[in-house]
Amino acid sequence: MLFGEAIQIAIASLRANKLRSLLTVLGILIGVSSVIAVVAITEGLDRYMSEKVLELGTKAFRLQRHPDIITSHEQWMEMMKRKRLNMDDYEAVRKACTLCSEVGAQVWTGSNVKRGRTIQKNVGIAGVTENISRIGTVRELLAGRHVVQQDIEQAAMVAVIGTDLVDAFFGTMEPIGKEIDVDGHPLKVVGVAEKKGAVFGESQDNFLWMPLTTFMKLYGSRRSFSIQAEAQTMGVFEAAQDQVRVAMRARRHLTYNKPDDFNIETGETVMELWQTMTRGIYVVTFVVTAISLLVGGIVVMNIMLVSVTERIKEIGVRKALGARRGDILRQFLVESVILSGFGGVLGVLGAAAFSFLLASILGNMMSANFSAPVRPWAVALALGVSSIVGLVAGIYPANRAAALDPVEALRNE
Amino acid sequence: MSTAPREAFDGPIIHAEDLWRTYQMGAEEIQALRGVTFEIQKGEYVAVMGPSGSGKSTLMNLIGCLDTPSKGRYVLRGKVVSEMNDDELAAVRNREIGFVFQTFNLLPRATALHNVELPLVYAGIPKEKRLEQAKRALEMVDLADRMTHKPNELSGGQRQRVAVARALVMNPAILLGDEPTGNLDSATGEEIMRLFERLHEQGNTIILVTHEKDIADHARRTIHIRDGRIERDEARRKA
Repeated sequence: MLFGEAIQIAIASLRANKLRSLLTVLGILIGVSSVIAVVAITEGLDRYMSEKVLELGTKAFRLQRHPDIITSHEQWMEMMKRKRLNMDDYEAVRKACTLCSEVGAQVWTGSNVKRGRTIQKNVGIAGVTENISRIGTVRELLAGRHVVQQDIEQAAMVAVIGTDLVDAFFGTMEPIGKEIDVDGHPLKVVGVAEKKGAVFGESQDNFLWMPLTTFMKLYGSRRSFSIQAEAQTMGVFEAAQDQVRVAMRARRHLTYNKPDDFNIETGETVMELWQTMTRGIYVVTFVVTAISLLVGGIVVMNIMLVSVTERIKEIGVRKALGARRGDILRQFLVESVILSGFGGVLGVLGAAAFSFLLASILGNMMSANFSAPVRPWAVALALGVSSIVGLVAGIYPANRAAALDPVEALRNE
Repeated sequence: MSTAPREAFDGPIIHAEDLWRTYQMGAEEIQALRGVTFEIQKGEYVAVMGPSGSGKSTLMNLIGCLDTPSKGRYVLRGKVVSEMNDDELAAVRNREIGFVFQTFNLLPRATALHNVELPLVYAGIPKEKRLEQAKRALEMVDLADRMTHKPNELSGGQRQRVAVARALVMNPAILLGDEPTGNLDSATGEEIMRLFERLHEQGNTIILVTHEKDIADHARRTIHIRDGRIERDEARRKA
């Protein structure tokens, strides 16, 4: 018997039991779509992390007192013992790193900012070098100018502000040239930074930049610097980091057997940490969704057993008319594979809808653009797996059908 | 009707020699057939008759190659069926046996045409040829106008005629009827018997298994079975 015949027979029999077939398909659909959606969401989160959270370009790295993410209390205590990074460290790094195209520094605090009677709370306040907006992820201006070298030399009372401050204080008015009150000090707005939206629900636009020197005049020098550098090329990325590391170890008088008492972060190190933190969760989620696919397979097997039992007489007739074992086996295997393969196809569509939905919900929660791409390989995997599930789930029932004794089968009512 | 050309064969269609069939029922051994020997020639019209429990159903299963004897030799058109495996038996059933069942045994969701086509599907005959042959078989039983009807849209007599067409479509060595009129009223039963008569006149070898004397009387020869043995094997008295 030809394959085409088997497919026709299978489709006819599936259509004869529409509701039952549909419910079975639903089982596979849910399994397949959750597997694809989990892969998509996982990848979306990773991508989101690397694009939005890091804010580090591929050639940029950061010298800090401690890592961005601290995983234990002990580590925290250890970090608090470390020396702060200061202006001298910055100067030293700038001199040492000949492979760097740019070396900048910034130092952060948080406070309320006022204009008249309007108060904007918890504004991120940074003292920056003039090149800071060019290192790593570039931040363009909407209007005005950046902090420039001259501002730093003169410790000028100027600020570049984020769009949240513009919205709070100026509305549609022109902000450039106006004065704002930062912890009792009047700063003149000279520029407005482009809007970045929110990351994990936190606005990236509620900040202001002032010259590093101005910051130290207003807030003192007790805060540790974050020194940002960018290697000239990808090829010297590691070497540039080494120059910084060697310079810092020399300044700290660390012997060869002592670990660094400072931290160099690259996009990669943060990503690695993020991945080790999240990988376990992903694996568990993936396994759980894979189990739903397994359950779908069990449903298919169950329905195939029912289908065989109901059609014992038909199998007997077919055998009487000359169907061989292989013909019967093929008929039921094809039916099973079509059933779950169809579930797989629908599952891919379901996954696309599901990840779109989830992405927009997550995006809303984090108030940012978030995409969960449905990958071709995940689709291929899901279709392949669902077909294999159908095949495996069908083998036992189909074998039972094929092995039936024609005399017994014909006697069945 | 004509299907694939087949090699000429002039020996007996059926040569059965000392057929035994025993079933194991728990600890007990039941001997359904106890040494049955007979021959059937090409073109014969034979009834196998006996009360229930006589072993006639067992004999029919052996004749129809649905089962193999526990002991003895069964040769169908020169082929030793008693030594065949399952797939070889399936091929013989497909090629040499045309079954007509008491309960018709048509596939309920398939049209008359598709039901008749089924043996050709398992014979691996291409689609176009299949349709052509199936149509011809339906024409032979006067159902050319009912080809696209499903079994539940046909009367009992029409259903059985579809089954006869299905049995004939492969041009088998024997047409094997198992109580073919058992589920029909007597008028329709007569109609089916007339059809068998016509097929017999056209040269088909027909074997009917029945417990009804009226039906057996249509045949030219009756083999009486009782207690697993042939009681009598007689030709019909009047022609």
